Amino acid sequence: MMQRSRHIFATCLFSALCAVNAACHADSDTGVLRGAGPAYPGVVPGETLVFPRDHGAHPDFRTEWWYITGWLRDEADVERGFQLTFFRVRPRIAEGGSSRFSPNQLLLAHAAVADPARWRLLHAERAERSLPPLAGAGEAHTDVRIRDWSLAWSEAPGVAGAYHARVGAGEFAFDLELRPEGAPVLNGQGGYSRKAPDPKHASYYYSRPHLKVSGHLSAGHDAHRVTGAAWLDHEWSSEIMPDDARGWDWIGVNLDDGGALMAFRMRGEKGEPIWSAATLREADGSLRTFQQDEISFVPTREWRSPRSGTVYPVAWSLHLAGAGNAPVRTFRIVPLMDDQELDSRASTGAIYWEGAVRLFDDGTEPQEIGKGYLEMTGYADRLEM
Amino acid sequence: MTRAEYKRRRPSGTFRVYDSLESMLKIAQLGKTLATAPPRKLFELLSMEVGAGECVAIIGESGVGKSTLLNCLAGLEPVSSGSIRVGDTELAGLGDDALSQLRRDCFGFVFQAFHVLPHLTLLQNVAVPLWLQGRHGAEADRCAQHMLERVGLGTRAHDWPRELSGGELQRVAIARALVHRPIVVLADEPTGNLDPARAMDVLDLLLSSIRDGGAAGVLVTHSHAAARRADRVFELRQDGLVQVMAAAQ
Amino acid sequence: MNPALVRLFAASLGRRRLATALALFAIALGVALGLAVQLIHEAALDEFGRGMRELAGEADLQVRSGRVGFDEQLYLTLALRPEIAEASPVLELDARLPGRAGTLRILGIDLFRVAHVQPALMPVADDRDARFAGLQPDTIFLSAAAQDKAMGKGRGVLRVQSGVKVVAFRVAGTVPGAGVGQALGVMDIAAAQEAFGQVGRLTRIDLKLAPGVSREQAVTRLSPLLPAGISLSQPEASGTEAAALSRAYRVNLTMLAAIALLTGGFLVFSTQWLSVVRRRREFALFRALGMNRGTLLRGLLLEGAITGLAGGLAGIALGHLFAALAFRLIGGDLGAGYFEGLRPSLQFSPGVIGFYTALGVAAGIAGAWLPAHDATLMGPASGLKAGAAEAAVLGGMKESRGRGALACFGLGLFACLLPPFGGIPVGGYVAVALALACAVMVLPWATRFSMQVLNVGRGVVWRLAHARLAAAPGQAVVAGAGVVASVALAVSMAIMVSSFRVSVDDWLGTVLPADLYLRASSAGASGFFDADALKLVENTPGVAFIDTVRATEVRLIDGRPPVTLIAREVSRGWGLPLVSGSLSAHQRDDSTGLPPAWLSEAAADMLQLAPGSTLSLPIAGRMNLFRVAGVWRDYARQNGAVVIGRDVYRQLSGDLKVNDVAIRVVAGTSVDEVALALREVFSDDLVDIAMPGEIRKLSLEIFDRTFLVTYLMEAVAIMIGLFGIASTFAALSTARKGEFGMLRHLGMTRAEIGRLIALEGGLTAAVGVGVGVVAGGGIAWILIEVVNRQSFHWSMDIHVPYAGLAAFSLGLVVLAAMVARVAGYRAMRQSAVLAVREDW
Repeated sequence: MMQRSRHIFATCLFSALCAVNAACHADSDTGVLRGAGPAYPGVVPGETLVFPRDHGAHPDFRTEWWYITGWLRDEADVERGFQLTFFRVRPRIAEGGSSRFSPNQLLLAHAAVADPARWRLLHAERAERSLPPLAGAGEAHTDVRIRDWSLAWSEAPGVAGAYHARVGAGEFAFDLELRPEGAPVLNGQGGYSRKAPDPKHASYYYSRPHLKVSGHLSAGHDAHRVTGAAWLDHEWSSEIMPDDARGWDWIGVNLDDGGALMAFRMRGEKGEPIWSAATLREADGSLRTFQQDEISFVPTREWRSPRSGTVYPVAWSLHLAGAGNAPVRTFRIVPLMDDQELDSRASTGAIYWEGAVRLFDDGTEPQEIGKGYLEMTGYADRLEM
Repeated sequence: MTRAEYKRRRPSGTFRVYDSLESMLKIAQLGKTLATAPPRKLFELLSMEVGAGECVAIIGESGVGKSTLLNCLAGLEPVSSGSIRVGDTELAGLGDDALSQLRRDCFGFVFQAFHVLPHLTLLQNVAVPLWLQGRHGAEADRCAQHMLERVGLGTRAHDWPRELSGGELQRVAIARALVHRPIVVLADEPTGNLDPARAMDVLDLLLSSIRDGGAAGVLVTHSHAAARRADRVFELRQDGLVQVMAAAQ
Repeated sequence: MNPALVRLFAASLGRRRLATALALFAIALGVALGLAVQLIHEAALDEFGRGMRELAGEADLQVRSGRVGFDEQLYLTLALRPEIAEASPVLELDARLPGRAGTLRILGIDLFRVAHVQPALMPVADDRDARFAGLQPDTIFLSAAAQDKAMGKGRGVLRVQSGVKVVAFRVAGTVPGAGVGQALGVMDIAAAQEAFGQVGRLTRIDLKLAPGVSREQAVTRLSPLLPAGISLSQPEASGTEAAALSRAYRVNLTMLAAIALLTGGFLVFSTQWLSVVRRRREFALFRALGMNRGTLLRGLLLEGAITGLAGGLAGIALGHLFAALAFRLIGGDLGAGYFEGLRPSLQFSPGVIGFYTALGVAAGIAGAWLPAHDATLMGPASGLKAGAAEAAVLGGMKESRGRGALACFGLGLFACLLPPFGGIPVGGYVAVALALACAVMVLPWATRFSMQVLNVGRGVVWRLAHARLAAAPGQAVVAGAGVVASVALAVSMAIMVSSFRVSVDDWLGTVLPADLYLRASSAGASGFFDADALKLVENTPGVAFIDTVRATEVRLIDGRPPVTLIAREVSRGWGLPLVSGSLSAHQRDDSTGLPPAWLSEAAADMLQLAPGSTLSLPIAGRMNLFRVAGVWRDYARQNGAVVIGRDVYRQLSGDLKVNDVAIRVVAGTSVDEVALALREVFSDDLVDIAMPGEIRKLSLEIFDRTFLVTYLMEAVAIMIGLFGIASTFAALSTARKGEFGMLRHLGMTRAEIGRLIALEGGLTAAVGVGVGVVAGGGIAWILIEVVNRQSFHWSMDIHVPYAGLAAFSLGLVVLAAMVARVAGYRAMRQSAVLAVREDW
């Protein structure tokens, strides 16, 4: 799910902070404190993810995120989408500095609520340097926070563990408990998720679908008790995006039958697919992974943003190759609402589409079979990483 | 101080005793042309002699140049032609400072507007000509006091001019005009600012003082009554001075 | 008043063009100077305030300390408090620029935080590819003004001093939000902490409050969390502090401008009075024709008002011109150093313009008041008489207003006793004004008195001049009032400045007892000596003995600028210029056992403490008690300073840094050689090596520069005073042409008339100067003992520059004589001689 590498968000946060991908080299003329530290570790196949350690942060890697998307239903059966992402970035500067303020680890967060009644997203973002207890990412288990925003795992003896997500922004706030109902789903080869023909473009990547959500959400002046289902991605990498990529499309859907589907494709300059992959967990728990030509994304309807003028394919057909001689499976992706464009040019420099979607089967009378999130980047401008 | 001693102080340095028959002031062929465009001839060919102890009056119509003549006599205005002699000094050709010195020693003035300095006492006012001659202190005060007594203001030597009437002010002016025993006393309408009753008294005082001091007096006036008191009366015309009245006996 | 009458009066101004022009010019100068001072200062203050606001951004509250700062833990504590919506930590320092004059303000900021609180500080990288430029430890962003100030041509590298080393930063971009006049650099807070040896320290936290939390609530709830010596205040407080800091200086300059205006008023008075005197017959005629008193009064006041208005308007233009020139040439600092480095721009404010125009009109009307009043009292009949004008010259102003003078004197003494009002010595200034009024009122008496004393001359010119002045002291008032005012002011300033200078000189001798000084930087800036550097100093051949000085800042009273805390030895000959108390650390009558502290006069005044009292000082976040052992004279730190023992300070704070090192050299060693040796150890750019003689020279140079503007304004005041003489004598030469003409008839030469006028002018000026010098002495006393004491809190020993004053007085008298003679030139012309014949 590197596609959602919205660490654009991280990297373009301020015009003073630009791209991350070049190596740090200090101006030899200045001869001041540099502190680029050791090189980023590579992502290689064959590593075994160990939990709960790998739920925590991996500060040596360049980029890491915990990414939650989900659907919530309130007392009045109103459905809303929500999203919360924490990014951790190691910029390879000021490492080994003696100041607690040394910006050797940066934390960024992005939260949004898709409320159909408003026909647009509510969203907010935060960024800090790692400075415990104000902001930081724990290594023992999932524990990331930026002041009063947090995503943390908690468990007590005798009680099943759960994630807690807390977000307070001006327009909205939520305080949710997200309880997993099973082991993490490892994407790619046992968690090694390749992003491009060159195997160095890869990430460690697992998902936790079907998180059972309960808690409170407020949007505007209304506070609601909500329940629902969510999806957590945790992914860390050092060199995720190839130079010739322009953006990506990604979905993560909780299927009504208990299954889960994740699919992405990396697009090139002209929109041609560079790399595609998918993971399908069937209702019985069996896992299938797909790669390259086993997957195809076909746009079925476009929507033009009245604000940015960008055209997004907001509805899709997704085709997955059948196992052996089994027929191709086709899914239809339909958005909760068309306008889920996220224009954060003012702060992050990026403009993209990130929204709640429903998944339908391909019957003559299509049935809804799941709910999830669709992300599309690189349609306005190339994503600068 | 004797007259002889006084003469010794004159700038010309000459030593000469004048008697009453000798002319103290003598003008000859005097002419004045004003430098207007075109030049206007004010008067010409004026001749006159005034002896010691003699007073002459000059009358004439307004604008005929009476005051200008007086200025010329005092060396305050240059003449266009002719000569002015005061004693044995010819005015023509003297510089400003020499003329000033001459006025200081040989002239006394009486003005229509008195010109008594308001910030000096009567005694000081009278003493100014003496100061100008470098005579200070008790001697100057004594002379001035004596002069004030002669004009009848001896008791008021230390009063301020603002306390005096016009007639009294003119008496002070007369005292000032004569205190340094000038050769020539020039008076321009000396009674012009005085009421008629006082005017004649003041005029008599002026004339008798001039005669007593042996000076030559020239009185410019348009008052025939005043003029008649002089020894001779001339009328100033454009073509000359015409004696209209001989010396009264 | 109907327009025809307005024309009637206004036309009179046209008939005396020279006098009117001089009065107008004087008023214009007064208005211009006052306005320029205010414009320059307000623009500087505005720019300073805008700088502060930009830095504070949208902050509701600020946690502030002196430059020494506080522990960064406070930020973490506050940032997590529910009362706080956003918090932004700042480490602010004045970085010394090696090899350049002055310091550059560098703000270590958290990029992620300033975005929310102080967006104006957001740095922008020049190069879009610069990776994390705002976080890189080797980069800095400079505002445009800082680029000009700190950078040579290009190079892109900023070198600043840290300790006794140089650190270099790559200039990665700009701070576009900083105001045009703001010279500052922005860099990452972590890098700043490390580069300047301030790890763990902050100097400021800007806070935005959570919705629904008032400032008062926040202050109440958060104050208990703050360590001692740290204040929580509203961001506007900085501007107020700056205003308070420079207010006394500004008020002083404004007072000088007021003097110029006052002198202008005197000049209006002189010309108006003479004009009224000369027109008595004219007025008598008006009155006889049926004009009532009120109309006459209004008409004459109108003349003054027109002069004042024209002068005021000219002054407005001139004032803006002065200010604009000053901005271009010297920036916003008027010489006292409060706003060094600011480049404000000129602002037009209708309110200020209106006020200063009104001041000009008021000066004109005030000057015209007394003459107008006199004119209306005159009976029409007496006014018509010939010679009335001359009589009026003699009669007017004759009376010394003895009772008035006495009242002014008494009130002035009383005003000296008043405490300052809002930090401004109002009583002192009132006393100065009363002293001036008193001096003008005794002028007639002084004239008569001095004429009696001077009744010795024998020459006719002397006697006439003497008699004139003795009989007409009113003339002396009219001509000399301006001289008195300007001389009094000039003399008082001269005495004050001389006393100050001599005292500063003595003081420098006391505070600089060593042979050689090393300075890494002043209290707030980035240079310092550490233990290694001190070792190097001690081991330099020829150094017999060193003493160290640590200077930091502590905030003793909220809303007041911080006080300098100096940690040093006070025994062993490193003395303090005490004014009270004792240098001995242990006093017999001391039972408290507290460590001693010595307060500067300013600090003692501010805290209202005297030797023997107890002083509480925040050091390292805790309050510590000290005993006030003495009060010392300090001309260097207007906000106050406290000296405590070096060891006590180190023990309490753990701070081992040193700003200054004082060195005694081994007897018989050349100080120059030691200095040379030290120069080889430390770079010239980083450490100032100075001998007391150099410091003294430099200090006195700065002193003289500071007072330069004062001298200039004095010169202007003197010039205006001479205008008074000129206009009076120009007018008198017309009025007295009969008198001079008569004297010419009596045989005075033209040159003697000239001498007479010159002598009268000289005598008038001499009396004015005499009274002015006496009044100036009194005013100097007020300035030294009241005004300086109250506004700057420093005492000084009175030192009168007799020779200078004598030369000045003599020069002024001669000048006045020449001016009078030139002005009276008309009286010497032939036409004046002939005027005797006319009835005037």
